[in-house]
Amino acid sequence: MVDIEDLKSKFLNLEYDTKTFELDPQRAIAIAKASGEILPQFTDPEHAEFEAVPAMVASLASGRRLPIDFPSLGGIAMDGGKAVTSLKAIRPGTPLTGRTHLHDIYDKSGRSGRMIFLVARMEIFNEGGEHVATSDSRMVIREKPDA
Amino acid sequence: MSIKTIADVEFGVELPTFDPDTSLATVSAFAEAVGWGRGGRFTSHEKAKKEGLPGALVPGIMGMGFLTSMIHRWAPTARVTYVDTVFRAPMIADQVAHIGAVVTDVDEETGTVELDVTIKNDKDETRVFGTAKVVLPVA
Repeated sequence: MVDIEDLKSKFLNLEYDTKTFELDPQRAIAIAKASGEILPQFTDPEHAEFEAVPAMVASLASGRRLPIDFPSLGGIAMDGGKAVTSLKAIRPGTPLTGRTHLHDIYDKSGRSGRMIFLVARMEIFNEGGEHVATSDSRMVIREKPDA
Repeated sequence: MSIKTIADVEFGVELPTFDPDTSLATVSAFAEAVGWGRGGRFTSHEKAKKEGLPGALVPGIMGMGFLTSMIHRWAPTARVTYVDTVFRAPMIADQVAHIGAVVTDVDEETGTVELDVTIKNDKDETRVFGTAKVVLPVA
């Protein structure tokens, strides 16, 4: 059985990926419209406050899902959820940098066995180095009994 | 009622339900825009079924998009500062989704409203749930 406290001591809060992005304005509009967005600051690139919706921020993926030396936990990782904290508007077409670390590791046990949750946190910065958003990806792994 | 400022918000009120467009065409457009169009999991019922899925999936983050759209429809002046979604079960394209939310906290000094949010199917089964935090003008 995987020792959660051991994993936490070895891997939490250590940055393991840095990636640059530039959100495409047309894709930003397509995402907003498909989501049912009606406010023009999300659908009109000419709007003075044109910005990306949180769902687009949540779609940004780090180069690595987990640290390079993170052990295999035996099960298949599933997408357990996403969270986005918006600190400042993100204007499509401007450079961004995402820095990713493991923010939390925890487990839950039930009748079907133990589930391990890994929360990868990407902190996103604009060209000026301002922290503009945080995107959390929650991976869920059903532990195999002999893992 | 159109929500313009924090004074318009009442604790415990349910937001108007939003039934978004979950058609395969719209789901495919979303999947293509986020770069997940390859493979067919989100763009083809047939290909998704070959993977053992019940049909083409609605991407979980599209559910996040539905939630923020619902909030903006309820309160066009609101800024969504936080949204957390837990993917409990798959949403399937071409199946109805009902987006709901209830006000769970109101801070009139900061203009902050907290919401519990859910996405249910036509069988009243929860597919996605979560929380959101929005900020409204104080006056």
